[in-house]
Amino acid sequence: MAILNKPDKVHQAIAWHGDIPITNRYTAGVAGERFFREVKENGKFMGTRCPECDLIYVPATMFCERCFAELDEWVQVENQGQVVTYTILYWDLDDQPLAVPLVLALVQLDGSDGGLVHYLGETDPEDVYIGMEVEAVLKDPAEREGSILDIRHFRPIQV
Amino acid sequence: MSQEVAIVGIGYTSFRPLTPEVSYKELVYEAAVKAYEDAGLDPRSDVDSIVSVAEDFTEGTSIFDEYVPDQLGGMLKPNVTIPGDGIHGLATAYMQIASGIVDVVAVEAHSKASNVLTLPRITAYAMDPVLNRPLRANPVFIAGMEMNRYLYTSGATREHCALVVAKNKRNALLNPAAAFGAALEPDQALDSEMVAYPLSVVDISPHADGAIVVVLASAEVAQSLTDVPIWIRGIGWCNDSPSLENRAWGRAIYAEEAGRMAYRTAGIRNAMDEIDLAEIDDAYSYKELQHLEALGFCEYGRGGFLTADGVTEIEGALPVNASGGSIGGGHLLDASGLRAVVEVALQLRGEAGAHQIPGVETGLAFGWRGVPSTSGAAVILSS
Ligand SMILES: [Zn+2]
Repeated sequence: MAILNKPDKVHQAIAWHGDIPITNRYTAGVAGERFFREVKENGKFMGTRCPECDLIYVPATMFCERCFAELDEWVQVENQGQVVTYTILYWDLDDQPLAVPLVLALVQLDGSDGGLVHYLGETDPEDVYIGMEVEAVLKDPAEREGSILDIRHFRPIQV
Repeated sequence: MSQEVAIVGIGYTSFRPLTPEVSYKELVYEAAVKAYEDAGLDPRSDVDSIVSVAEDFTEGTSIFDEYVPDQLGGMLKPNVTIPGDGIHGLATAYMQIASGIVDVVAVEAHSKASNVLTLPRITAYAMDPVLNRPLRANPVFIAGMEMNRYLYTSGATREHCALVVAKNKRNALLNPAAAFGAALEPDQALDSEMVAYPLSVVDISPHADGAIVVVLASAEVAQSLTDVPIWIRGIGWCNDSPSLENRAWGRAIYAEEAGRMAYRTAGIRNAMDEIDLAEIDDAYSYKELQHLEALGFCEYGRGGFLTADGVTEIEGALPVNASGGSIGGGHLLDASGLRAVVEVALQLRGEAGAHQIPGVETGLAFGWRGVPSTSGAAVILSS
């Protein structure tokens, strides 16, 4: 019976390795296009407002996930906001230690109900707290490509 | 609920960090043989339909439903594979029987996590490709951010989370199928390596391999097969916003709603009074507390205090993860919820062995699909 004859030495356990390249395009979409274009060309953050729910979505979306309305009211929101939550990340994408830990945060942008997940920089990780006031640091206009990485990071607002 | 449905067969392998000697098909075959033996059924003649739960990326195979029927005795039968938690699979099988189209369904879920060599990258591939993935961060950061917000808004502490770790690892010592039992003191948990502040390495359930098969049957068939049918009294599932930017970070709203649906379908008004034990997702230590609150066992923010008071211990008023859960048993990818179902069903049969809780009649199992998801499913079982 094969079931009684399982390999009992690790070196006898045969395995095959396989991998495939997976490459995709991801369309930013009608709302994403305008959101990233405003960051890239004007250094501005735009949201879309749902009048029914009285919510301003950032990043802008073309529809309201709460009431399902199509959204076409665009409003500019601030380049600064508050840390809703954050973490200090010690592992890389292979679960190996990062040489320099990353501070990541969800920042709710002032004037909006949404926000952005991004790096926090120009601060000691130990000094970060929930509710901290931070502002976006954008790349130079010539370096911007219309992506979330047009934001270098958020940093504490000096008072 | 319409047609009554019961669990009549349970089969599972032990849960182990490595299984180099068996293929995933052989793991599933072992669980299936045990489940059909337990039910007293021949799958080739007695099982009407097969439901499996699998995600292509963690299987390393496209169109994985092609790879399912044979190891379950399910060839030339109705088959469906759904990417979801094991309890989503149970719900699918439940509905097939409740609707009256079939009488006996086998539900399967498994983990061969030890063969998934780039799991954090697969999980990262589940994040929004435009907004989140370009940050190139290990997706465990989402759990770190969620835990931080949860502790901030709920009043729970890292010490409470360490109590969950110590409890589940200790419970696992009583469960021969569990992979990661340990007599760990809460202080040792608190001092362990930080992964995504405030989440430390022991707050994360380590992965294990294993397979689970559960056989469901209509009332008439169930009563002809067994003296101890375990009835599915209610079931519910829900997703919150997929967006990291818009979801609720402090609360597990998906679990609140999944629980509400399960309680409504089961006719349960007071979870703490009417439910004797719970096996709920503890993929991360704080998730047990968050899910305990979301499922209505206590007020928001009280889960940690309940744990500190010993209420969730095996001897407590509401034992939670008496099996060791995922922290003590090993996280089984999308099979984790089905393992919770098995543990509750064994307890209700009185077959849980060294971690048996005396006199239990009704239990709850809850599964969550892990980061970055807000996908949860709950089921209420009764003897
Ligand atoms: Zn709306």
